[in-house]
Amino acid sequence: MSAADPFSLAGKRILVTGASSGIGRQIAISCAQMGAQLVVSGRNVERLAATFAELEGEGHIQFGADLSRQEDIDRLAAGAGVLDGLVHAAGISKLAPFRLISRMQLDEMFSSNVYAPMLLTKGLLAKKRIANGGSILFISALASHVGPLATGAYSASKAALLGAMRTLALEVVKQGLRANCIAPGYVRTPMLDSLNQSGGSIDEHAKLTPLGLGEPEDIAYAAVFYLSDASRWITRNYFIVDGGLTVPMDIYA
Amino acid sequence: MNNAAQKAFSLNGKTILVTGASSGLGRQIAIACAQRGARLVITGRNAARLQETHDQLAGTGHIQVTADLTIAEDRERLGQASTAIDGVVLCFGGQMLSPIRQLKEDLMTAMYRTHFLAPVMLTQRLLQANVINKQGSIVFMLSTSAHIGTRGVGPYSAMKSGLLGIIRCLAIELAPRRVRVNGISPSVVPTPQLWGEDNEQNEPLNKERQRHPLGLGTPQDVANGAIYLLSDASRWVTGTSLVMDGGAVL
Repeated sequence: MSAADPFSLAGKRILVTGASSGIGRQIAISCAQMGAQLVVSGRNVERLAATFAELEGEGHIQFGADLSRQEDIDRLAAGAGVLDGLVHAAGISKLAPFRLISRMQLDEMFSSNVYAPMLLTKGLLAKKRIANGGSILFISALASHVGPLATGAYSASKAALLGAMRTLALEVVKQGLRANCIAPGYVRTPMLDSLNQSGGSIDEHAKLTPLGLGEPEDIAYAAVFYLSDASRWITRNYFIVDGGLTVPMDIYA
Repeated sequence: MNNAAQKAFSLNGKTILVTGASSGLGRQIAIACAQRGARLVITGRNAARLQETHDQLAGTGHIQVTADLTIAEDRERLGQASTAIDGVVLCFGGQMLSPIRQLKEDLMTAMYRTHFLAPVMLTQRLLQANVINKQGSIVFMLSTSAHIGTRGVGPYSAMKSGLLGIIRCLAIELAPRRVRVNGISPSVVPTPQLWGEDNEQNEPLNKERQRHPLGLGTPQDVANGAIYLLSDASRWVTGTSLVMDGGAVL
Protein backbone atom coordinates (compact mmCIF):
# COMPACT_ATOMS: atom_id res chain seq x y z
CA MET A 1 0.00 0.00 0.00
CA SER A 2 1.24 3.48 -0.84
CA ALA A 3 2.14 6.26 1.59
CA ALA A 4 -0.98 8.09 0.40
CA ASP A 5 -3.15 5.29 1.79
CA PRO A 6 -5.47 7.04 4.29
CA PHE A 7 -5.69 3.87 6.40
CA SER A 8 -1.92 3.51 6.75
CA LEU A 9 -0.31 4.38 10.07
CA ALA A 10 3.19 4.68 8.57
CA GLY A 11 5.05 7.60 10.08
CA LYS A 12 2.76 7.76 13.11
CA ARG A 13 3.86 7.15 16.72
CA ILE A 14 1.11 5.62 18.82
CA LEU A 15 0.97 5.00 22.56
CA VAL A 16 -1.21 2.07 23.63
CA THR A 17 -1.84 1.50 27.34
CA GLY A 18 -2.91 -1.90 28.58
CA ALA A 19 -0.84 -3.46 25.80
CA SER A 20 0.18 -6.45 27.91
CA SER A 21 -3.04 -8.33 27.16
CA GLY A 22 -6.41 -8.53 25.45
CA ILE A 23 -7.68 -5.62 23.38
CA GLY A 24 -4.69 -3.36 24.09
CA ARG A 25 -2.26 -6.05 23.02
CA GLN A 26 -4.04 -6.60 19.72
CA ILE A 27 -4.38 -2.86 19.03
CA ALA A 28 -0.61 -2.54 19.40
CA ILE A 29 0.05 -5.51 17.11
CA SER A 30 -2.42 -4.34 14.43
CA CYS A 31 -1.16 -0.74 14.54
CA ALA A 32 2.38 -2.00 13.99
CA GLN A 33 1.12 -4.06 11.03
CA MET A 34 -0.34 -0.86 9.58
CA GLY A 35 3.10 0.75 9.84
CA ALA A 36 2.98 2.65 13.14
CA GLN A 37 5.81 3.01 15.64
CA LEU A 38 4.48 1.91 19.01
CA VAL A 39 4.99 2.98 22.58
CA VAL A 40 3.41 0.14 24.55
CA SER A 41 2.68 0.31 28.23
CA GLY A 42 1.35 -2.26 30.69
CA ARG A 43 1.62 -3.38 34.28
CA ASN A 44 2.93 -6.88 33.72
CA VAL A 45 6.39 -6.40 32.21
CA GLU A 46 6.75 -10.05 31.14
CA ARG A 47 3.51 -10.04 29.16
CA LEU A 48 4.33 -6.56 27.86
CA ALA A 49 7.64 -7.91 26.55
CA ALA A 50 5.71 -10.70 24.82
CA THR A 51 3.51 -8.12 23.05
CA PHE A 52 6.60 -6.08 22.22
CA ALA A 53 8.21 -9.13 20.59
CA GLU A 54 5.20 -9.50 18.29
CA LEU A 55 5.34 -5.95 16.91
CA GLU A 56 6.24 -5.72 13.22
CA GLY A 57 8.73 -3.06 12.17
CA GLU A 58 11.28 -1.14 14.18
CA GLY A 59 11.66 1.70 16.62
CA HIS A 60 9.01 0.58 19.11
CA ILE A 61 9.50 1.14 22.83
CA GLN A 62 7.98 -0.52 25.89
CA PHE A 63 7.17 1.09 29.18
CA GLY A 64 6.28 -0.93 32.29
CA ALA A 65 3.82 1.24 34.22
CA ASP A 66 1.00 0.88 36.73
CA LEU A 67 -1.27 3.74 35.70
CA SER A 68 -3.22 3.63 38.96
CA ARG A 69 -0.11 5.38 40.36
CA GLN A 70 0.41 9.07 39.55
CA GLU A 71 4.21 8.69 39.47
CA ASP A 72 3.88 6.10 36.71
CA ILE A 73 1.51 8.35 34.74
CA ASP A 74 4.02 11.20 35.04
CA ARG A 75 6.91 8.93 34.03
CA LEU A 76 5.03 7.68 30.97
CA ALA A 77 3.92 11.20 29.93
CA ALA A 78 7.51 12.38 30.24
CA GLY A 79 9.06 9.41 28.46
CA ALA A 80 6.64 8.67 25.63
CA GLY A 81 7.95 11.34 23.26
CA VAL A 82 5.84 13.08 20.62
CA LEU A 83 2.77 11.06 19.65
CA ASP A 84 0.29 11.01 16.76
CA GLY A 85 -2.07 8.61 18.48
CA LEU A 86 -3.00 7.65 22.02
CA VAL A 87 -5.14 4.61 22.88
CA HIS A 88 -6.41 4.16 26.42
CA ALA A 89 -6.97 0.42 26.46
CA ALA A 90 -5.82 -0.27 30.05
CA GLY A 91 -8.68 -1.10 32.35
CA ILE A 92 -9.88 -3.44 35.03
CA SER A 93 -13.15 -5.18 35.66
CA LYS A 94 -14.56 -6.79 38.77
CA LEU A 95 -18.06 -7.97 39.49
CA ALA A 96 -19.80 -6.82 42.64
CA PRO A 97 -23.53 -6.50 43.36
CA PHE A 98 -24.54 -2.93 44.17
CA ARG A 99 -25.24 -3.59 47.85
CA LEU A 100 -21.66 -4.85 48.29
CA ILE A 101 -19.89 -1.96 46.53
CA SER A 102 -17.25 -0.38 48.76
CA ARG A 103 -15.41 2.93 48.51
CA MET A 104 -12.20 0.97 48.10
CA GLN A 105 -13.57 -0.90 45.08
CA LEU A 106 -14.83 2.32 43.51
CA ASP A 107 -11.48 4.03 44.10
CA GLU A 108 -9.66 1.11 42.51
CA MET A 109 -12.02 0.91 39.51
CA PHE A 110 -12.11 4.65 38.83
CA SER A 111 -8.39 5.02 39.43
CA SER A 112 -7.60 2.56 36.61
CA ASN A 113 -10.52 3.10 34.26
CA VAL A 114 -11.17 6.86 34.53
CA TYR A 115 -8.45 8.77 36.37
CA ALA A 116 -5.58 7.07 34.54
CA PRO A 117 -6.76 7.84 30.98
CA MET A 118 -7.84 11.38 31.93
CA LEU A 119 -4.64 12.22 33.79
CA LEU A 120 -2.34 10.60 31.24
CA THR A 121 -4.05 12.62 28.49
CA LYS A 122 -3.73 15.74 30.62
CA GLY A 123 -0.03 15.03 31.25
CA LEU A 124 0.69 14.55 27.54
CA LEU A 125 -1.30 17.65 26.55
CA ALA A 126 0.46 19.77 29.19
CA LYS A 127 3.80 18.73 27.72
CA LYS A 128 2.48 19.25 24.15
CA ARG A 129 3.34 15.66 23.31
CA ILE A 130 0.40 15.01 20.97
CA ALA A 131 1.17 16.29 17.48
CA ASN A 132 -1.22 18.24 15.26
CA GLY A 133 -3.63 15.84 13.57
CA GLY A 134 -3.30 13.42 16.48
CA SER A 135 -6.07 11.05 17.52
CA ILE A 136 -6.99 10.16 21.11
CA LEU A 137 -9.04 7.02 21.57
CA PHE A 138 -10.76 5.74 24.71
CA ILE A 139 -11.76 2.10 24.93
CA SER A 140 -15.05 2.27 26.79
CA ALA A 141 -17.44 -0.71 26.99
CA LEU A 142 -21.05 -1.31 26.14
CA ALA A 143 -21.62 -1.96 29.83
CA SER A 144 -21.84 1.84 29.97
CA HIS A 145 -25.19 1.68 28.16
CA VAL A 146 -26.39 -1.81 29.07
CA GLY A 147 -25.48 -2.20 32.74
CA PRO A 148 -25.30 -5.99 33.17
CA LEU A 149 -25.84 -7.39 36.69
CA ALA A 150 -23.12 -6.72 39.25
CA THR A 151 -21.21 -4.28 37.04
CA GLY A 152 -22.26 -1.07 38.81
CA ALA A 153 -18.72 0.17 39.41
CA TYR A 154 -17.38 -1.00 36.05
CA SER A 155 -20.32 0.33 34.02
CA ALA A 156 -20.14 3.68 35.81
CA SER A 157 -16.43 3.95 35.09
CA LYS A 158 -16.87 3.17 31.40
CA ALA A 159 -19.80 5.59 31.09
CA ALA A 160 -17.61 8.31 32.62
CA LEU A 161 -15.25 8.06 29.64
CA LEU A 162 -18.00 9.22 27.29
CA GLY A 163 -18.43 12.52 29.11
CA ALA A 164 -14.68 13.00 29.44
CA MET A 165 -14.13 12.33 25.73
CA ARG A 166 -16.87 14.72 24.55
CA THR A 167 -15.42 17.63 26.52
CA LEU A 168 -11.82 16.79 25.69
CA ALA A 169 -12.56 16.66 21.96
CA LEU A 170 -14.11 20.12 22.04
CA GLU A 171 -11.16 21.55 23.97
CA VAL A 172 -8.39 20.11 21.76
CA VAL A 173 -9.95 20.75 18.35
CA LYS A 174 -8.02 24.02 18.06
CA GLN A 175 -4.76 22.05 18.30
CA GLY A 176 -6.00 19.87 15.46
CA LEU A 177 -6.58 16.87 17.72
CA ARG A 178 -9.47 14.44 17.69
CA ALA A 179 -10.91 12.35 20.53
CA ASN A 180 -13.32 9.42 20.25
CA CYS A 181 -14.62 6.38 22.14
CA ILE A 182 -15.00 2.83 20.96
CA ALA A 183 -17.52 0.78 22.95
CA PRO A 184 -16.86 -2.95 22.48
CA GLY A 185 -19.38 -5.65 23.29
CA TYR A 186 -18.26 -9.11 24.47
CA VAL A 187 -14.80 -9.85 23.07
CA ARG A 188 -12.70 -12.98 23.62
CA THR A 189 -10.09 -11.64 26.09
CA PRO A 190 -8.46 -12.70 29.38
CA MET A 191 -10.73 -10.13 31.11
CA LEU A 192 -13.81 -11.93 29.83
CA ASP A 193 -12.37 -15.29 30.94
CA SER A 194 -11.80 -14.05 34.46
CA LEU A 195 -15.31 -12.60 34.65
CA ASN A 196 -16.67 -15.96 33.62
CA GLN A 197 -14.71 -17.65 36.37
CA SER A 198 -16.05 -15.24 38.96
CA GLY A 199 -19.61 -16.24 38.13
CA GLY A 200 -20.52 -13.77 35.39
CA SER A 201 -23.29 -14.57 32.97
CA ILE A 202 -21.04 -13.60 30.07
CA ASP A 203 -21.61 -16.86 28.20
CA GLU A 204 -25.29 -16.00 28.07
CA HIS A 205 -24.54 -12.56 26.65
CA ALA A 206 -22.17 -14.01 24.09
CA LYS A 207 -25.03 -16.22 22.95
CA LEU A 208 -27.20 -13.14 22.60
CA THR A 209 -24.70 -11.51 20.25
CA PRO A 210 -26.05 -11.97 16.70
CA LEU A 211 -22.53 -12.30 15.23
CA GLY A 212 -21.17 -14.30 18.19
CA LEU A 213 -18.27 -13.42 20.47
CA GLY A 214 -15.91 -10.80 19.04
CA GLU A 215 -12.18 -11.20 18.54
CA PRO A 216 -9.61 -8.63 19.75
CA GLU A 217 -8.84 -7.93 16.05
CA ASP A 218 -12.36 -6.60 15.55
CA ILE A 219 -11.72 -3.85 18.10
CA ALA A 220 -8.15 -3.34 16.89
CA TYR A 221 -9.28 -2.66 13.31
CA ALA A 222 -11.87 -0.14 14.54
CA ALA A 223 -9.01 1.48 16.49
CA VAL A 224 -6.84 1.56 13.35
CA PHE A 225 -9.65 3.38 11.52
CA TYR A 226 -10.03 5.93 14.33
CA LEU A 227 -6.25 6.49 14.55
CA SER A 228 -5.70 6.81 10.80
CA ASP A 229 -6.31 9.85 8.62
CA ALA A 230 -9.25 7.94 7.09
CA SER A 231 -11.28 9.20 10.08
CA ARG A 232 -9.89 12.77 10.05
CA TRP A 233 -13.42 14.25 10.04
CA ILE A 234 -14.61 12.16 13.02
CA THR A 235 -14.33 13.51 16.53
CA ARG A 236 -16.50 13.38 19.71
CA ASN A 237 -17.87 10.10 18.39
CA TYR A 238 -18.96 7.09 20.42
CA PHE A 239 -18.77 4.04 18.18
CA ILE A 240 -20.34 0.72 19.11
CA VAL A 241 -18.53 -2.43 17.97
CA ASP A 242 -20.56 -5.27 19.40
CA GLY A 243 -21.53 -7.85 16.77
CA GLY A 244 -25.11 -6.59 16.99
CA LEU A 245 -25.55 -7.26 20.74
CA THR A 246 -27.39 -4.00 21.38
CA VAL A 247 -29.38 -3.93 18.14
CA PRO A 248 -32.45 -5.46 19.82
CA MET A 249 -32.01 -3.23 22.91
CA ASP A 250 -33.11 0.36 23.38
CA ILE A 251 -29.90 1.45 25.05
CA TYR A 252 -30.90 5.12 24.92
CA ALA A 253 -34.17 4.55 26.76
CA MET B 1 3.85 -6.22 2.86
CA ASN B 2 0.54 -7.95 3.18
CA ASN B 3 -0.11 -8.83 6.79
CA ALA B 4 -3.43 -9.53 8.53
CA ALA B 5 -4.29 -5.90 9.27
CA GLN B 6 -3.52 -4.69 5.75
CA LYS B 7 -5.60 -7.51 4.27
CA ALA B 8 -8.49 -6.60 6.58
CA PHE B 9 -8.62 -3.09 5.11
CA SER B 10 -8.27 -4.20 1.49
CA LEU B 11 -11.16 -4.64 -0.93
CA ASN B 12 -9.18 -6.94 -3.24
CA GLY B 13 -11.38 -9.61 -4.76
CA LYS B 14 -14.60 -7.98 -3.57
CA THR B 15 -17.45 -6.88 -5.82
CA ILE B 16 -19.16 -3.71 -4.60
CA LEU B 17 -22.46 -2.32 -5.88
CA VAL B 18 -22.76 1.46 -5.53
CA THR B 19 -26.01 3.24 -6.31
CA GLY B 20 -26.10 6.97 -6.99
CA ALA B 21 -22.65 6.62 -8.50
CA SER B 22 -23.16 9.26 -11.18
CA SER B 23 -22.33 12.13 -8.81
CA GLY B 24 -21.41 13.32 -5.33
CA LEU B 25 -20.75 10.86 -2.54
CA GLY B 26 -21.69 7.81 -4.61
CA ARG B 27 -19.17 8.69 -7.30
CA GLN B 28 -16.35 9.24 -4.80
CA ILE B 29 -17.18 6.00 -2.97
CA ALA B 30 -17.03 4.06 -6.26
CA ILE B 31 -13.70 5.63 -7.20
CA ALA B 32 -12.21 4.99 -3.74
CA CYS B 33 -13.42 1.35 -3.67
CA ALA B 34 -11.84 0.69 -7.07
CA GLN B 35 -8.56 2.22 -5.86
CA ARG B 36 -8.63 -0.23 -2.98
CA GLY B 37 -8.96 -3.19 -5.30
CA ALA B 38 -12.70 -3.77 -5.64
CA ARG B 39 -14.60 -4.62 -8.79
CA LEU B 40 -17.50 -2.20 -9.08
CA VAL B 41 -21.07 -2.41 -10.25
CA ILE B 42 -22.18 1.20 -10.51
CA THR B 43 -25.60 2.55 -11.16
CA GLY B 44 -27.18 5.97 -11.58
CA ARG B 45 -29.89 7.71 -13.55
CA ASN B 46 -27.73 9.85 -15.81
CA ALA B 47 -25.91 7.66 -18.36
CA ALA B 48 -23.38 10.31 -19.38
CA ARG B 49 -22.38 11.14 -15.81
CA LEU B 50 -22.31 7.46 -14.90
CA GLN B 51 -19.88 6.94 -17.78
CA GLU B 52 -17.69 9.73 -16.36
CA THR B 53 -17.54 7.85 -13.04
CA HIS B 54 -16.81 4.61 -14.87
CA ASP B 55 -13.91 6.28 -16.69
CA GLN B 56 -12.36 7.18 -13.32
CA LEU B 57 -12.41 3.64 -11.86
CA ALA B 58 -8.99 2.05 -11.41
CA GLY B 59 -8.67 -1.59 -12.52
CA THR B 60 -10.85 -3.59 -14.87
CA GLY B 61 -14.05 -5.62 -14.95
CA HIS B 62 -16.35 -2.88 -13.66
CA ILE B 63 -19.87 -2.67 -14.99
CA GLN B 64 -22.36 0.18 -15.19
CA VAL B 65 -26.13 -0.02 -15.27
CA THR B 66 -28.16 3.08 -15.99
CA ALA B 67 -31.26 2.78 -13.82
CA ASP B 68 -33.88 4.78 -11.96
CA LEU B 69 -34.25 2.79 -8.77
CA THR B 70 -37.67 4.20 -7.98
CA ILE B 71 -38.89 2.00 -10.87
CA ALA B 72 -39.39 -1.69 -10.13
CA GLU B 73 -38.26 -2.88 -13.62
CA ASP B 74 -35.01 -0.95 -13.28
CA ARG B 75 -34.34 -2.54 -9.89
CA GLU B 76 -35.04 -5.93 -11.45
CA ARG B 77 -32.61 -5.19 -14.29
CA LEU B 78 -29.91 -4.08 -11.84
CA GLY B 79 -30.51 -7.20 -9.75
CA GLN B 80 -30.00 -9.38 -12.80
CA ALA B 81 -26.75 -7.59 -13.73
CA SER B 82 -25.39 -8.10 -10.20
CA THR B 83 -23.85 -11.44 -9.27
CA ALA B 84 -21.83 -12.46 -6.21
CA ILE B 85 -21.92 -9.07 -4.49
CA ASP B 86 -19.74 -8.58 -1.37
CA GLY B 87 -20.83 -5.06 -0.59
CA VAL B 88 -23.67 -2.68 -1.37
CA VAL B 89 -23.61 1.08 -0.83
CA LEU B 90 -27.01 2.72 -1.23
CA CYS B 91 -26.40 6.40 -1.66
CA PHE B 92 -28.51 8.00 -4.32
CA GLY B 93 -30.90 10.72 -3.28
CA GLY B 94 -31.10 14.44 -2.88
CA GLN B 95 -32.40 16.87 -0.33
CA MET B 96 -35.89 18.32 -0.45
CA LEU B 97 -36.76 20.86 2.23
CA SER B 98 -40.20 21.67 3.46
CA PRO B 99 -41.59 22.83 6.79
CA ILE B 100 -44.27 20.33 7.80
CA ARG B 101 -47.03 22.99 7.78
CA GLN B 102 -46.43 23.59 4.05
CA LEU B 103 -45.76 19.93 3.21
CA LYS B 104 -47.33 18.71 -0.05
CA GLU B 105 -48.31 15.10 -0.53
CA ASP B 106 -46.42 15.03 -3.84
CA LEU B 107 -43.15 16.04 -2.19
CA MET B 108 -43.57 13.57 0.65
CA THR B 109 -44.36 10.78 -1.80
CA ALA B 110 -41.33 11.66 -3.91
CA MET B 111 -39.12 11.64 -0.79
CA TYR B 112 -40.50 8.27 0.23
CA ARG B 113 -39.96 6.73 -3.21
CA THR B 114 -36.42 8.04 -3.60
CA HIS B 115 -34.99 7.81 -0.11
CA PHE B 116 -36.83 4.87 1.37
CA LEU B 117 -38.68 2.67 -1.08
CA ALA B 118 -35.89 2.52 -3.67
CA PRO B 119 -32.99 1.44 -1.38
CA VAL B 120 -35.18 -0.90 0.67
CA MET B 121 -36.75 -2.63 -2.33
CA LEU B 122 -33.43 -2.87 -4.16
CA THR B 123 -32.01 -4.60 -1.08
CA GLN B 124 -35.03 -6.90 -1.10
CA ARG B 125 -34.38 -7.78 -4.76
CA LEU B 126 -30.72 -8.56 -4.11
CA LEU B 127 -31.53 -10.72 -1.09
CA GLN B 128 -34.34 -12.56 -2.84
CA ALA B 129 -32.09 -13.23 -5.84
CA ASN B 130 -29.43 -14.51 -3.42
CA VAL B 131 -26.68 -12.39 -4.95
CA ILE B 132 -25.19 -11.06 -1.69
CA ASN B 133 -22.32 -13.25 -0.56
CA LYS B 134 -21.82 -14.56 2.97
CA GLN B 135 -19.89 -12.07 5.15
CA GLY B 136 -21.06 -9.30 2.84
CA SER B 137 -21.76 -5.76 3.95
CA ILE B 138 -24.74 -3.52 3.23
CA VAL B 139 -24.29 0.21 3.80
CA PHE B 140 -27.13 2.73 3.69
CA MET B 141 -26.14 6.36 3.22
CA LEU B 142 -27.97 8.19 5.97
CA SER B 143 -27.32 11.63 7.36
CA THR B 144 -27.00 13.16 10.80
CA SER B 145 -30.62 14.16 10.18
CA ALA B 146 -31.51 10.52 10.85
CA HIS B 147 -30.62 11.30 14.47
CA ILE B 148 -31.32 15.00 15.01
CA GLY B 149 -34.10 17.52 14.40
CA THR B 150 -33.51 20.42 12.02
CA ARG B 151 -36.04 23.03 10.90
CA GLY B 152 -37.50 22.25 7.48
CA VAL B 153 -35.76 18.88 7.09
CA GLY B 154 -38.71 16.79 8.33
CA PRO B 155 -39.43 14.70 5.21
CA TYR B 156 -35.77 13.84 4.62
CA SER B 157 -35.09 13.27 8.31
CA ALA B 158 -38.05 10.91 8.54
CA MET B 159 -36.90 8.78 5.60
CA LYS B 160 -33.34 8.54 6.97
CA SER B 161 -34.67 7.62 10.43
CA GLY B 162 -36.87 5.06 8.74
CA LEU B 163 -33.81 3.48 7.18
CA LEU B 164 -32.29 3.14 10.68
CA GLY B 165 -35.25 0.90 11.48
CA ILE B 166 -34.54 -1.18 8.38
CA ILE B 167 -30.83 -1.35 9.29
CA ARG B 168 -31.52 -2.70 12.78
CA CYS B 169 -34.04 -5.32 11.73
CA LEU B 170 -32.11 -6.44 8.66
CA ALA B 171 -28.92 -6.70 10.77
CA ILE B 172 -30.67 -9.28 12.93
CA GLU B 173 -32.18 -11.11 9.95
CA LEU B 174 -28.85 -11.40 8.11
CA ALA B 175 -26.58 -12.15 11.08
CA PRO B 176 -26.79 -15.95 10.57
CA ARG B 177 -25.14 -15.44 7.15
CA ARG B 178 -22.67 -13.00 8.77
CA VAL B 179 -23.85 -10.23 6.46
CA ARG B 180 -23.58 -6.88 8.25
CA VAL B 181 -25.95 -3.97 7.79
CA ASN B 182 -24.94 -0.45 8.78
CA GLY B 183 -25.38 3.19 7.91
CA ILE B 184 -23.11 6.16 7.48
CA SER B 185 -24.45 9.40 8.94
CA PRO B 186 -22.46 12.30 7.54
CA SER B 187 -23.19 15.86 8.45
CA VAL B 188 -22.64 18.56 5.82
CA VAL B 189 -20.41 17.54 2.90
CA PRO B 190 -20.50 20.35 0.34
CA THR B 191 -21.18 18.52 -2.92
CA PRO B 192 -22.00 21.05 -5.69
CA GLN B 193 -25.27 19.35 -6.65
CA LEU B 194 -26.75 19.62 -3.17
CA TRP B 195 -25.08 22.76 -1.82
CA GLY B 196 -23.99 24.80 -4.86
CA GLU B 197 -20.55 26.34 -5.20
CA ASP B 198 -18.62 26.57 -1.93
CA ASN B 199 -17.57 30.24 -1.77
CA GLU B 200 -17.87 33.30 0.48
CA GLN B 201 -21.36 34.07 -0.85
CA ASN B 202 -22.69 30.62 0.04
CA GLU B 203 -24.29 31.65 3.32
CA PRO B 204 -25.92 28.32 4.26
CA LEU B 205 -22.59 26.54 3.85
CA ASN B 206 -20.63 29.11 5.79
CA LYS B 207 -23.14 28.95 8.61
CA GLU B 208 -22.85 25.17 8.68
CA ARG B 209 -19.06 25.40 8.72
CA GLN B 210 -19.16 27.41 11.96
CA ARG B 211 -21.24 24.72 13.66
CA HIS B 212 -18.63 22.00 12.98
CA PRO B 213 -15.52 22.07 15.20
CA LEU B 214 -13.48 20.31 12.48
CA GLY B 215 -15.14 22.16 9.61
CA LEU B 216 -17.06 20.45 6.83
CA GLY B 217 -16.27 17.03 5.40
CA THR B 218 -15.20 15.95 1.94
CA PRO B 219 -16.59 13.15 -0.23
CA GLN B 220 -13.28 11.33 0.35
CA ASP B 221 -13.87 11.38 4.13
CA VAL B 222 -17.22 9.68 3.62
CA ALA B 223 -15.67 7.24 1.14
CA ASN B 224 -13.11 6.25 3.78
CA GLY B 225 -15.93 5.53 6.21
CA ALA B 226 -17.60 3.39 3.54
CA ILE B 227 -14.35 1.48 2.92
CA TYR B 228 -14.09 0.65 6.62
CA LEU B 229 -17.68 -0.61 6.69
CA LEU B 230 -17.25 -2.62 3.45
CA SER B 231 -13.91 -4.21 4.35
CA ASP B 232 -13.39 -7.24 6.58
CA ALA B 233 -11.99 -4.82 9.19
CA SER B 234 -15.61 -4.20 10.27
CA ARG B 235 -16.81 -7.83 10.17
CA TRP B 236 -18.14 -7.51 13.77
CA VAL B 237 -19.89 -4.16 13.27
CA THR B 238 -23.60 -4.42 12.52
CA GLY B 239 -26.88 -2.62 13.12
CA THR B 240 -25.33 0.79 13.72
CA SER B 241 -24.47 3.93 11.83
CA LEU B 242 -21.07 5.57 11.61
CA VAL B 243 -21.57 9.22 12.47
CA MET B 244 -19.20 11.55 10.60
CA ASP B 245 -19.84 15.10 11.67
CA GLY B 246 -16.59 16.93 12.37
CA GLY B 247 -17.48 16.99 16.07
CA ALA B 248 -20.86 18.74 15.72
CA VAL B 249 -22.34 15.82 17.69
CA LEU B 250 -25.83 14.48 17.64
